[in-house]
Amino acid sequence: MPTSTPLDPSVPVRHRWFSPARLLAIASNTLLELVRQKVFYFLLLFALLSIGSSLLVVQFTFQQQFQVLKDVSLGAMSIFSWLLAVLATAQLLPRDLEDRTLYTILAKPVPRFEYLLGKLGGVLLLLALSLALMSALFAGVLAWREQTQLALIQAATPPEDLEAAVQALRASTFTPSLGLAILTIFLRAAICASLTLLISSFATSSIFTVIVSVIAYIIGHIQPVARDYWLHSLPAGQGVSPLVQVFLGFVALFFPDFQLFNLVDEAAAGNTIPFPLFAQTSALGLGYAMVYTFLAYLFFSQKEL
Amino acid sequence: MADPAAIAIRNLTKIFPVPFRKEKVTAVEDLSLEVQPGQIYGLLGPNGSGKSTTMKVVLGLVSPTSGSTEIFGRSSLHVESREAVGFLPENPYFYKFLTGSETLHFFGRLCGLSGPRLAARSRELLALVGLETAANRRVGSYSKGMLQRIGLAQALIQDPRLLVLDEPTAGVDPAGSREIRDLLLQFKQRGITVLLCSHLLGQVQEVCDRIGILHQGRLVSEGPLESLVSVEDQTECLLRNASPELLRSIQAQAAAAGAEVIQIRKPQTTLERHFLKVTHGVSRDASTQPSPQHADVHAP
Repeated sequence: MPTSTPLDPSVPVRHRWFSPARLLAIASNTLLELVRQKVFYFLLLFALLSIGSSLLVVQFTFQQQFQVLKDVSLGAMSIFSWLLAVLATAQLLPRDLEDRTLYTILAKPVPRFEYLLGKLGGVLLLLALSLALMSALFAGVLAWREQTQLALIQAATPPEDLEAAVQALRASTFTPSLGLAILTIFLRAAICASLTLLISSFATSSIFTVIVSVIAYIIGHIQPVARDYWLHSLPAGQGVSPLVQVFLGFVALFFPDFQLFNLVDEAAAGNTIPFPLFAQTSALGLGYAMVYTFLAYLFFSQKEL
Repeated sequence: MADPAAIAIRNLTKIFPVPFRKEKVTAVEDLSLEVQPGQIYGLLGPNGSGKSTTMKVVLGLVSPTSGSTEIFGRSSLHVESREAVGFLPENPYFYKFLTGSETLHFFGRLCGLSGPRLAARSRELLALVGLETAANRRVGSYSKGMLQRIGLAQALIQDPRLLVLDEPTAGVDPAGSREIRDLLLQFKQRGITVLLCSHLLGQVQEVCDRIGILHQGRLVSEGPLESLVSVEDQTECLLRNASPELLRSIQAQAAAAGAEVIQIRKPQTTLERHFLKVTHGVSRDASTQPSPQHADVHAP
């Protein structure tokens, strides 16, 4: 049997309280885990939706065609990235715990916050990669339809109107707001992933985590409507009880108002997203993601394995 | 100043609450023991005796209710205490989507290794545990014994000073089990401390210097192996080529001196050794063990 030789003692391995290399090791391993589960098959469905939506509305004007294409594609991106964020994150911690791989990882000099950040990082890498691939597919279909329409316009438009018609066509396809919309989709998915991570840090099963995450997502969407109803639908002179106010305050604070992320719909409608509004929304989203991750760490650091 | 103990457990108590009930389960109660550097320490006990909980507390996976544990003088509550530790859990599972080689690379990166150093270390350990030919196979297709071997390799990846092994030979065939035993002895020669939990008492007896026995969370017996298992009023001597006359003479001399010869018999080989012999898996030191031709004399 071969023998084990000690590592070269002249190259010391010192412990660092935070190591980007360890974080990257966990994140890339998580990404590999998810990729090898063949999650990218959903891209086929996305391609079908994107191409199909562009072909089914050929009798419309080109503005309407591009509007439908953007609506369907950005909508599909939002749904797929949300599904990926929730389903991928929900299984990570319970599976590691159930398979006891968590024991071998945390028995190495790996702080628990690094493990959690690495897992979340892997999901975010997956989301970024998925959105990049979907964006490339979407851009490809959009460019293809643009060229098709351009050929039609050039054949049917009098020369004096051609320049204006081409400009109108270009204004209906690629706009800077589309890029900001895709970034907003990523941000919303990142919030959902960190919220799911928080739930899975104290949950005992993946299914519980998924259910609670879906409920939280729904609450995030309907909470501004519900809040308005509660605050403004009461008869005149009848105030909201302090208990209800506290409850509404908690819901408003803990669950992000996902209606604020409807910048995507603006971009799909061809409207320009003002950059300050995008920056404000991004800051809010990042803040929520960070708070959720920190809370997840607080739960996970106390977890008995 | 003396070197700190490889493992120091002081008055450790661990109580688990039972969800939705008032009662609590005491897994470990007032446990104190020390494992000195270079020792192979056998932690024994029936199922549910608190062995795994003790190991988890030592590794910082579970926090103590009271008391403390240290690894080479560093509290187990601190992550840096695990710099020098390799751990093989019972029935280990690893990421099924990784190959054996990728598994070692992953754990190596967690320990701060990288580049050619990690690649070389990974190759060396795959050879050490006999998995070179399975290095590029997914761990999901490994047998139980192969999982145990890759588990041992990952425990060794950063060349730890302390190895914590929970049932390291579970599911391993006799030849592999003997190889792991040989490895443990090799680690001891290199000064690596081993905390070994096993139900295979024969194997523990072969390799351990010191034993602790847990029962219902309490340490009921502890000490050097020899002092625990030796029968103080008896002496054993093995003779080769002893003639019947010599044996009779020894018996007579013993009787004349007031001693009693309890048993004279041919020693038997073990089933393990016989198995290894017929399957050509005989280990290198088999020739140094007693053979059936030896006479075994027990005398008080």
